Amino acid sequence: MASSSSSSLTVANRDGSSSASEDEAVMSVTRAYAQDALLQFQSGKFDQCLTALSECLKMKPNDPKIFHNIGLAEFYRDGCSHPKRLLDVLNDVKKRSEELARASAEQAESGSNIGGSRGSSTMGHPFSAVYMDEFDTYVATLNIAVIWFHLHEYAKALSVVEPLFQNRGPIDEKTALNICLLLLDVGLACHDATKSADVLVYLEKAFGVSCMNQGDSGSTLSQQPANPVAKSPSLPTNSSAADGPNLDSDANALESEETGEYDGAVFDMDVAQPTALLSSNDLSRNPVDISVSSVYLKLKMQLYKVRFLLLTRNLKQAKREVKHAMNIARGRDSSMALLLKSQLEYARGNYRKAIKLLMASSNRTDARISSMINNNLGCIYYQLGKYHTASVFFSNALLNCSSLRKDRPLNLLTFSQDNSLLIIYNSGMQYLACGKPLLAARCFQKAGLVFYNRPLLWLRFAECCLMALEKGLLETTLASSEVRVYVIGNGKWRQLVMEDGVSKNGNSGSLERGDLFLGSDQQPKLSMSLARQCLSNALYLLNCSESSYCKNSLPSNFFLEDNELGEVASSKNSNNKNFHSIDSEASALSVGLGQSGINGDAKEQKAGTTQELVQNSLLYYADIRNKENLLLKQALLANLAYVELELENPMKALSIARSLLELPECSRIYIFLGHVYAAEALCLLNRAKDAADHLMTYLSGGNNVDLPFSEEDSEQLQGVRAVDYEELNGGSMSAKSSSPEYTLGIVFLKPEEALASLYVNFAALYAMQGELDQARQFVAQALSIVPNSPEATLTAVYVDLKLGKSQEALAKLKQCSRVTFLPSGLTLNKAS
Amino acid sequence: MKKRATLGFEESKAVFGLLRAEQRPLEEIVSDFNSFFSHGRQFIPCFSISILLQDKKMLSSTQRLIAFAILQQAYSSQKPSANPFISLLINAACDVEAEKYERALILQLLQLFGSDGSSGGKELLKQSAADYIKSFDPSVHAFPQHEQLQQQYADKVHPERYNSPLKDSSVRNVVADPDVPCGFDVNSSEFDVQPGANPKLGSGDRDETVLGLLSNLALEGLGPHWKRPIPPRLPVQDDELVWLNPVDNHELLWDDGMCVDTSRGAAVRDLIAKALKGPLAPAQQEQVLLELANDPKLVYHCGLTPRKLPELVENNPLIAVEVLTKLINSPEIAEYFTVLVNMDMSLHSMEVVNRLTTAVELPSEFIHMYITNCISSCENIKDKYMQNRLVRLVCVFLQSLIRNNIINVKDLFIEVQAFCIEFSRIREAAALFRLLKSLE
Repeated sequence: MASSSSSSLTVANRDGSSSASEDEAVMSVTRAYAQDALLQFQSGKFDQCLTALSECLKMKPNDPKIFHNIGLAEFYRDGCSHPKRLLDVLNDVKKRSEELARASAEQAESGSNIGGSRGSSTMGHPFSAVYMDEFDTYVATLNIAVIWFHLHEYAKALSVVEPLFQNRGPIDEKTALNICLLLLDVGLACHDATKSADVLVYLEKAFGVSCMNQGDSGSTLSQQPANPVAKSPSLPTNSSAADGPNLDSDANALESEETGEYDGAVFDMDVAQPTALLSSNDLSRNPVDISVSSVYLKLKMQLYKVRFLLLTRNLKQAKREVKHAMNIARGRDSSMALLLKSQLEYARGNYRKAIKLLMASSNRTDARISSMINNNLGCIYYQLGKYHTASVFFSNALLNCSSLRKDRPLNLLTFSQDNSLLIIYNSGMQYLACGKPLLAARCFQKAGLVFYNRPLLWLRFAECCLMALEKGLLETTLASSEVRVYVIGNGKWRQLVMEDGVSKNGNSGSLERGDLFLGSDQQPKLSMSLARQCLSNALYLLNCSESSYCKNSLPSNFFLEDNELGEVASSKNSNNKNFHSIDSEASALSVGLGQSGINGDAKEQKAGTTQELVQNSLLYYADIRNKENLLLKQALLANLAYVELELENPMKALSIARSLLELPECSRIYIFLGHVYAAEALCLLNRAKDAADHLMTYLSGGNNVDLPFSEEDSEQLQGVRAVDYEELNGGSMSAKSSSPEYTLGIVFLKPEEALASLYVNFAALYAMQGELDQARQFVAQALSIVPNSPEATLTAVYVDLKLGKSQEALAKLKQCSRVTFLPSGLTLNKAS
Repeated sequence: MKKRATLGFEESKAVFGLLRAEQRPLEEIVSDFNSFFSHGRQFIPCFSISILLQDKKMLSSTQRLIAFAILQQAYSSQKPSANPFISLLINAACDVEAEKYERALILQLLQLFGSDGSSGGKELLKQSAADYIKSFDPSVHAFPQHEQLQQQYADKVHPERYNSPLKDSSVRNVVADPDVPCGFDVNSSEFDVQPGANPKLGSGDRDETVLGLLSNLALEGLGPHWKRPIPPRLPVQDDELVWLNPVDNHELLWDDGMCVDTSRGAAVRDLIAKALKGPLAPAQQEQVLLELANDPKLVYHCGLTPRKLPELVENNPLIAVEVLTKLINSPEIAEYFTVLVNMDMSLHSMEVVNRLTTAVELPSEFIHMYITNCISSCENIKDKYMQNRLVRLVCVFLQSLIRNNIINVKDLFIEVQAFCIEFSRIREAAALFRLLKSLE
């Protein structure tokens, strides 16, 4: 006995049944204080709560759980203003708990070895890899994830909460449910359909069991706003029948020669799992709580289901489920359901209906709601191509956010309701669409604090750089859309000096390290080097997400760093093997599904379980994501090849253009770009013959060149758009509700212009090989299509000069409308 | 800052000033030039000068002389073949249409390459350009052939600086575009600016043009142009714009486990500990099952570990089944299964497995491994009575698995068939064999 109690003292743990009576008295006093602390906490009296907690701490000076609750109470007492500080506390608690658990386990091991023969029940603490009650870290870990969630650090939250869900077995029901709900929100926020699906199926199973018996009790949820502790919506179940197989037969039954009794032992697998979460025990414990939370939870689950279906773009099913949600919400708060319905119509391209629903959905006096509605309206107007209207809504949404920050007393929710960083991303898209690369870049830079692990963000950033280059906004470059001719002198001495575009971009890559992203004024400094860095980030992230999900491993302050992302992140990712790609998950799921995969028709789905629905959606979504990623990759490689050419790295440009050409199912537009970039890179590498090979693919015979792509290719590029699920399954294609009334055209060469580019490049290729006649013919064809193209004009002028026809060259220069004649800026008067 | 490939305003002015200093000794002009443009920077002004020289009308005769002197002297410290303008100098020296004094000066300049600062060379450079023309005597000069000069000064042609064909084949990017009234001769001097006179249509100042050219000539000439289309912006992706929905207010959770009564499950822990030592009384067994059923999480706190599982299986198989069933979703279940497969074959272990197969879905590798163990245990047992008993048990067990579709017979067909044949003397084995045959 003595050894047992002394050993337990050192690790400050329980004494079990061996404790002396005075210990017992102390314990009960401690428990009373703990109870009091909880009550004070729940009623918002944090000072009293902390007093009670300090009493607890006197009795159990090293208990990590006390420190945990102290951290919580202090956080609320200080007005929730320092979430990062609370994170530190929680991480510390977690670390300490793990140390104590380890120490305790080791002690128990050694203790049982020494006193192994003791027959008593006081054998210290049996070792188990599962933490013992006292040192479990579930709540602390969950709270860490909750804070990350509210700070919009979804990837971090996911990495914390996901393992909790996987090991949910020993976790009590209340915490487990909170874990599930958080994981759902985080998974949806990360666009991680697989993880959301797991939770959804699990919760649905659990909930499905209980709601059969529970029914709709009709009471509404009475939330206590002052109570910072989440309600514990425990779920009832009558599934005690699931407790195990019939064990009433005697142990010796096997000896009997009768084997028939085993035949009847059929066990329903489905009810085994939910008992892990929902115990009939809860029913007896809190009978009131359940009826309150049941409907609430049911609605909640339904809304999550809709959000999942919207994420996976299973719009047909989303429509069905959102109706169901409206039914459940009837007479209660239906604002969320309305918002989702609006999102559904938005996704379907029914923008007018989406606007109507948004307008109807809620009181817009609440800054929180109106910021969301403004933002969503902005999205709709963006899709309608009305960028200026969109910008008004986005800036209103941002105003709402900032008023939210000022007005309200802080609480944790304030952080997550401040969606300004998310709205700013939308703003950036709108600026980009309006052709304002500098403003857009500023937005993307801010939004990067949240979206740093999305490849698209980095592509958009690079697009800002390219647009700045195109518009002549980069410090080191000049506008390339026109020929600049300097007029020098006058009268008989007048001379024209043509600026050579090929060399104008030279040296733009010679930026020193360290200020790649930010200039001295902390504004993003757009350059080709920055574009290159962004594109390689995006490619890296894309490859990551293809092989495995690596969303949680990039440093969020990445924007302030400029070194090679690849190296940093890859070392961080290497130990991240337990994340599966969507593809493998989805295909694994499909095995269990048998033939009723995505080929099953819509009616079959109606009757299907949530599991089937979820799995179908996952498969469908994985397919969409594959297509999107493929398109993204094409865009990234094309941009990168272009940037490398701008930076005068023909070797890199060539290899990138080649990998672009090797992509499967590449769009003809990107194939065209791949060939043109590769050919130019080869020219720069003095390999005119190889360059010609790339261009020759478009030569149909003689000097005729085929259109490199068609209008349809352009249209195809703009729309891997949402198509209703039913149509994909071979339903009627006539009712293509998704085809948007307003298409947002891509800004690119028309097929004929692309053809003209090919003629120009053929001409340049022949000219540099000295075949001037050929060059003249090709450039003439180019000029007949695009008489004002600067490149065509300059090449034509070049060919004429080379042929000694300076008068013709001058005539061509003067014909082209995109030539700017500039004064030399120097006069003799000034000079002398 | 970007390295400019053209001359700045001040630099152009300076160069122009040097070119116009026809009365200053060439030596001074060259040293001014060298002090203005540090070594390595002189290429750009030299290049501009060389372009100006190509249009013979652009510079006056004294300016041309100064220009040639600069071109030669700027690179005088190096071998003649290292001078980037050596071929221009040689060509000019052999140009029969050029003025004799110009060719003579160039020849003398070229000779300076060989004579390392000798007095003759110094003499030449002490003159001003104007003086040189004035005192020029064509009779003392012989003009060698182009090939001879080429051999003498440029035989070892320095390797071309790497350049792309787009630039290699470039032409001068200056075109004369005289702005004179129609029908007039461009070369007529009437269009030169007359001091004091009103400028008339078509007149222009040569000096202004020279200065303008100096400051605008880029190193690179005009090359054939390549059309490099800017890639299209990726259209906005389907879920790219962030649509906002209100989120749950996930609140922080109070840790309820703080200072709680840790006697939770103490009774069960005690009973489980007892159950490892020997069979529990029916009442005790009942109590364990009841408590485990009441609190689904209790199983994680009852003190059982994988290492202790065999003792529990042997002494209280029903409790073992119950515990394992409840642990089926725990991350540790694989460890428990491993222990179960590897423990000694016995009635109790078989019963536990049999009940588990009906209660939960077991991994098929586990079942297969277990069956293989069963069969080899039967074969290895020495005691005939015990062997018969075990074989009968295994047969009943297998029949149960087959009938309940727990295992797929095909996976184990050969193994099980061999087992039946080996023990065909036992009635249950024969029955199992018939069952197998009927399934074939």
